[in-house]
Amino acid sequence: MKMIEAIIQPNKLEDVKEALYGIGVEAITVSEVRGHGRQKGHTETYRGSEYTVDLLPKIKIEAVVADSRAEQIVGVLSTAARTGQIGDGKIFVFAVEEAVRIRNDERGETAL
Amino acid sequence: MSTPNTETSRSQPLGKVLLSRAVLVLAACILASLLPCMAQVAPKPDPAGIATGDKTTVVDAGGNSFTVAEPTDKTAPDYAQKKKDFDDFQAQAAKEPLAMKLADSTGHIRVATNFAWTLNTGYLVLFMQAGFALLTCGLVRKKNAAHLMMLNFAAYVFAFIAYYAVGYAFQFGAVAVNAAPSNLGGTPTLNHFLFGSGLWGFLGGKGFFMTGPAYDAGSNCFALFEVVFMETAGYIIVGAICERITFWSFLVCELFIGAILYPVFGCWVWGGGWMSQLGNTMGLGHGYVDFAGSTVVHAVGGFCAMALSVILGPRLGKYGADGKPRAFPAHNIVYVVIGTFVLLFGWMGFNPGSTLGATDLRISVVAINTNLAAISGSATAMLFWYLKFGKPDITMACNGMLAGLVAITAPCAFVNPTSAFIIGILAGLVVCLGVLFNDNVTKIDDPCGAISVHGFCGILGGICVGLFADGTYGQGWNGVGATSYLGQAGKGVTGLFYGDSKQFLVQVMGAVICAAWAFGATFVVFKTVNAVKSMRVSKQAEQEGLDVPEFGIQGYPEDAVYTTEY
Repeated sequence: MKMIEAIIQPNKLEDVKEALYGIGVEAITVSEVRGHGRQKGHTETYRGSEYTVDLLPKIKIEAVVADSRAEQIVGVLSTAARTGQIGDGKIFVFAVEEAVRIRNDERGETAL
Repeated sequence: MSTPNTETSRSQPLGKVLLSRAVLVLAACILASLLPCMAQVAPKPDPAGIATGDKTTVVDAGGNSFTVAEPTDKTAPDYAQKKKDFDDFQAQAAKEPLAMKLADSTGHIRVATNFAWTLNTGYLVLFMQAGFALLTCGLVRKKNAAHLMMLNFAAYVFAFIAYYAVGYAFQFGAVAVNAAPSNLGGTPTLNHFLFGSGLWGFLGGKGFFMTGPAYDAGSNCFALFEVVFMETAGYIIVGAICERITFWSFLVCELFIGAILYPVFGCWVWGGGWMSQLGNTMGLGHGYVDFAGSTVVHAVGGFCAMALSVILGPRLGKYGADGKPRAFPAHNIVYVVIGTFVLLFGWMGFNPGSTLGATDLRISVVAINTNLAAISGSATAMLFWYLKFGKPDITMACNGMLAGLVAITAPCAFVNPTSAFIIGILAGLVVCLGVLFNDNVTKIDDPCGAISVHGFCGILGGICVGLFADGTYGQGWNGVGATSYLGQAGKGVTGLFYGDSKQFLVQVMGAVICAAWAFGATFVVFKTVNAVKSMRVSKQAEQEGLDVPEFGIQGYPEDAVYTTEY
């Protein structure tokens, strides 16, 4: 099993969700998060004084999927979340040791 | 070396002495207000409102009285003529008793119309309180939202108590002497100066606790309208001292404004006091003129706020190690904009209402002037920021509208719409430069721009009367030029651009006195208070936000994590 963690622009969430549902991904977890990458936010002026907005709002999507499907899903997700601008985000893939369905104690890929 | 014990035992009697002195002064004030009215027979207050408004309050469109008063000064050169006019009127009245009866009801209806106007515009001004609460709450950080709402709320309550007890009497206790509100029946019972007399009055002395001579329908109508004006000065300070002041010291500030700071200057200008009479005593135009309170209300509040902000010092982190100001962005722009619109709406009571009567048809000009200054002030601030910083700042656009409103408040009745538009532009520039000046040069921390909006633009408004007043309105203002002024019949208050340099002189002088009084008196009193006990919250409370340390609840409680015990 693989955990796919994607940090994306908040306004791309709908596109990404549609794309994932389109290829049969059924279980995702979405959180509102804040952070910055290499660019470190941007500066604005308020009443004549400058301030830096460095922790920008982002969306984090987590999905645990079968090993065989990971590569395809990462590809679809990356395409759907892309605007081509700085700040589009990142995708990380980890190995997952175990999955448990709490309702009936099913284990492994069947629990996904 | 003194131990903590001796400290407390020393401060205890001092507190008692101060308290007993305050009680003595208060008792003296009440006695002083009661004694003269016991000595004099007339006039009597009219609590039921059935004797207010009769044939003597009937006037034509030009303000000429229907009745002719009996001349009292037999040595006056025109005594013979006046006596003849009076006798003719008496003869005519005896022939037409029905006309006299009709005149009595016409006079009553005229006063009633003006009561309705004054009370309803007063309610509009009251609602500005809600606008200011929204505006200032939106402009601060989320962690201080409850603190801001409580300050705005407590300002209304505590300043009202002070004004009810002594403020109203100090301001208007002698209003009938030189500035009787004739549209409301004249309030003849408020006729005694506590300090000064005649044309040199310094403090009113009747109507403490709104009892006795102030228990009168006309006086109460007037008091409702005037107390909400005082409240405006009361809440202005919130914008400059928020996010760091303790609640107890804020209450002391409000009591001070409602009892002393506002009523004293208000008496000088609106209560028939010495500044309003400078036209009669020193030949300075129509005396100091402020139609609806650019200086009397706004600059008093603004410069009081400035003194308090200097005493409190800037918020933690406002200035970095390099001395550069840092931005603490507004947490709710929606509140800021809605609050500003509520204030604009309330201002339609503030300025047109200050005629104290709908029978004064200048109200339509006042309403248009007020709006024109508001929009030109806002447009100026928007464009200024757009050109200087690349983006128009929404909070500054709102400040610009309020700046225009503050600056037009004094001249609104005396200028034409073109001048009103220009005054708004000037105010928009003053508020933008004022905010940048305070942030970068004086380093006086003013979270909501109250000092620039109400202080600087208030002074601008006072001076603008002396520049732009076009002489079409205000004939006989402050008892000057009742028949003719500057050699012209019907000429009213006139500014420098229309040929009266003395009016300009007295306006500049009055505006400077206003700023000096409001800043000076506040600074002396609260520097002392702050030396006795710090008026500022602890560093920890300020970092956490004042909501929980000061009031035990967050403005947005869902931000807190609760543990509920079942």
